[in-house]
Amino acid sequence: MRLNEDPAAFEAFYRRHIDAVMRFVVRRVSDPHLAADLTADIFLAALDSAHTYRPGRGTEIAWLYGVARNVVSAQHRRSVREAEVTSRVAGRRLMDDDDLGEMVERIDAERQMRRALEAMRDLPEGERAVLELVAIDQLTVSEAAAVLEIRQVTARVRLHRARRALQQVASPSAAYMEGQA
Amino acid sequence: MSNFQERLLSALKDDIASRPVVTGTAPVRRSRRLLGTAVAVTGAAAAATVAITVFAGGSTPAFAVDERPDGSIEVRISEFRDPSELEAKLESAGVNAEVDYLPVGQTCKSPRGKGSAGGGRFEASVGRQSGGGIVFKIEKGRVRADQTLVLTVSSDQDRPAEPPTSLHLQIVEGDVSPCEVVSMPMPSGPAPTGHQPSGVETGNGEEPGLSVNNG
Repeated sequence: MRLNEDPAAFEAFYRRHIDAVMRFVVRRVSDPHLAADLTADIFLAALDSAHTYRPGRGTEIAWLYGVARNVVSAQHRRSVREAEVTSRVAGRRLMDDDDLGEMVERIDAERQMRRALEAMRDLPEGERAVLELVAIDQLTVSEAAAVLEIRQVTARVRLHRARRALQQVASPSAAYMEGQA
Repeated sequence: MSNFQERLLSALKDDIASRPVVTGTAPVRRSRRLLGTAVAVTGAAAAATVAITVFAGGSTPAFAVDERPDGSIEVRISEFRDPSELEAKLESAGVNAEVDYLPVGQTCKSPRGKGSAGGGRFEASVGRQSGGGIVFKIEKGRVRADQTLVLTVSSDQDRPAEPPTSLHLQIVEGDVSPCEVVSMPMPSGPAPTGHQPSGVETGNGEEPGLSVNNG
């Protein structure tokens, strides 16, 4: 793929995926300025790692979600250490008041998804990652496996475990049993 | 798209424009010279285990991997696309493989790993037939379970059936490092057709492997 060499190819790629990327971001952060920065950072990271895209190894969106996951988790780590995000393209500076309002709407629309993600927080990382991509980002299991670069059967097993763990936490009988004990 | 999305697109396109120029970015009309005009075989050429020839092909599918009765494996690549599928096919035939198809003028930084014992030696021959594909044979037991066949091809990615400008095949012992893309040095002197030279020289005489260039 020559995304980082061919502006026309990149533009087509961008238009195909910009909404999915913004949705991915606002399901994970609730600050509109940060969401704009992360959206820019994800596409920059995609340009920087365009040579790692392999058409046969999962879909384009799976590859892009893999990039997006890395960018968002790097941001989470960074936010502990440094408040200021430095990037070649500062997404927040590209927003006018209308854009800001629209970003806030996008963030509000995904409120439930962010709550669901919060509920998954205590799951083991490997299981949470699969459930997150399937339940929150609506990927198929095979796409989620491609994002995480794991085998489909592994993804299925982790998904099963994650769902079972969540059911145990959420189901009334589990709460009752805990109350009895 | 919203204003933000349009502005971001412009900013990202500016970023693309400001990137350092990498060789091979502009589509170059290459003369259809035959693979085999320059062949560099490095390492001691002793065991005749891998042979490369060019065949007249170009039809689908992109490649074929045939297990022969004598236990050898014949690999025939007619189009340089779907590298991971070729890897998977080779792996199912019992050969660990790492295949990278890169644009003209780019290659993977070497070394990719430890060369196989004995200098990764194999003898190679390159035919002079027309067509864009290559075929090579892996003798039985040539690539052991702890070794990986590393194939790196530079070609015009918009025209996967065109012959490659550069091809590098080697056997690596143990782990293979991921491909770190670097630009290849361009040969000096004008191309015979008067166009920008797209052929490149690879192989430094130290690394075990086979390099073919089609400049």
